[in-house]
Amino acid sequence: MNEGFIPISWVQLLIALSLVSVSGFLSIYYKLKLEKDLAIGVVRSFAQLLTMGYLLKILFGLNSAVLVMALYMVMTLFSVNIIHGRVKEKNVSYLMPTGLAVMFSYSLVTILVTKVVIGAQPWWDPQYFIPIGGMIAGNSMNSLALSLERFFSELKVRRDEVEMLLCHGANYKEATAEIFRDALHAGMIPAINSLMGVGLVFLPGMMTGQILAGADPEEAVRYQIVVMFMLVASTALSSIVVLLLVRKRCFSGAMTLLTGKKRGL
Amino acid sequence: MNIPLQGESAGETPVLEFKNVSFSWPGGKGLSDVSFAVPSGQFVLISGPSGAGKSTILRLSVRLEEASQGEIFLSGKSVQSYYPPELRIRIGFVQQTPPVLPGSVRDNLLMPFTLNVRKRETPPSDEVLLQWLERLGLADVKLDSDASDLSVGQRQRLCLIRSVLPKPLAICFDEPTSSLDLESRERVEEIAEELATEGMTVLMVNHTSYHPCCPHMHLTVSEGKVEVV
Repeated sequence: MNEGFIPISWVQLLIALSLVSVSGFLSIYYKLKLEKDLAIGVVRSFAQLLTMGYLLKILFGLNSAVLVMALYMVMTLFSVNIIHGRVKEKNVSYLMPTGLAVMFSYSLVTILVTKVVIGAQPWWDPQYFIPIGGMIAGNSMNSLALSLERFFSELKVRRDEVEMLLCHGANYKEATAEIFRDALHAGMIPAINSLMGVGLVFLPGMMTGQILAGADPEEAVRYQIVVMFMLVASTALSSIVVLLLVRKRCFSGAMTLLTGKKRGL
Repeated sequence: MNIPLQGESAGETPVLEFKNVSFSWPGGKGLSDVSFAVPSGQFVLISGPSGAGKSTILRLSVRLEEASQGEIFLSGKSVQSYYPPELRIRIGFVQQTPPVLPGSVRDNLLMPFTLNVRKRETPPSDEVLLQWLERLGLADVKLDSDASDLSVGQRQRLCLIRSVLPKPLAICFDEPTSSLDLESRERVEEIAEELATEGMTVLMVNHTSYHPCCPHMHLTVSEGKVEVV
């Protein structure tokens, strides 16, 4: 096995860029109108990843806990912003609960993994803290958005059922128990499904990255197992926290549903 | 049948009272300065053109909507002074097409007794449930059968039983017969009137051709105004 890895030059990066033209061609040929999003996506991924690369290089050199936390905070705030853009709900404000859920669950799991599981010294060592935190943020963001989307859409679709339960004396928790379960399930299932397919259907990015960088595959696998388990924990934790905080906001003080179309005159 | 909740006798105080109540929906329609009082055990027919505000009266009564002005009283107490679930076990509300929950007919009928607000109450026995099913013309429906297999008319009657089984002080029916055939419609209307004669206050939004046989109060709603006929 080779020690180290084969570096990618700027020219090679441009060759890789040509792969995106396949999507561009399909978009133009079938009039998918995705060219603009594709172009923005390519530019953003270049800019964001390059910026992150340089920031990490600087951070590794500076060895400052404050700067590591500041970068981590920026990452989590961006994830809140992306979730906010994905979930379509106008009547109930969920920005603050999402922010709290994200801060709590991402930080808890990231610190637990770097300090207890990996045993990084110090626990905020950017070499571990930022990539681990980034993976947690990326995956939890998707599950959190899935949970919220499912919760709000089910509340709208099953409004009559929720009102019927309220009219029988159910409190808001009882009236939404089933919907809450469905939403939590929706948020947790992708991480659990990925546990089933890992190593058989796909080789995860982190493990592949480590192997490409010349690491011993056995060690890379151990890291990957930690990553898979932490993602299961963080997706579950972020989904439950956000749903617990958002559920109450969907009801008025009189326990009436605030989201969805009202009926009856 | 002991209709009022324990400790709440049906006295002089109206069961339900609207005092100068106004409400408006986002589109502008609603109710304007509505006042009326419903004595205990009264059957109240609410009629009027579509969109006049009939259902709004019922929704305001159970605080599914909040009045923008005026006050609503249940047994002499402002509805706002009740903890919402406590209010809603005193005044029930049956939607136009109330949904049945997944599970058996028995599960559906006993659902109100699984809620926290009723955790101290003893759920009715199978015998009582069967009596009610028979009373509503559902004698052939088994308690263990799947509620989702019932027809629309059967579901409507099942939901009616589910709402009156816990014996609320008053019950609001929002066009309960709109999706029923003539026979089922007459059965439901007959039962609603029987409930009133047994002491339960009944408010029913219903079609204009309906004329209750029992003594009743008639509220006509038109363009947000209510008149007691």
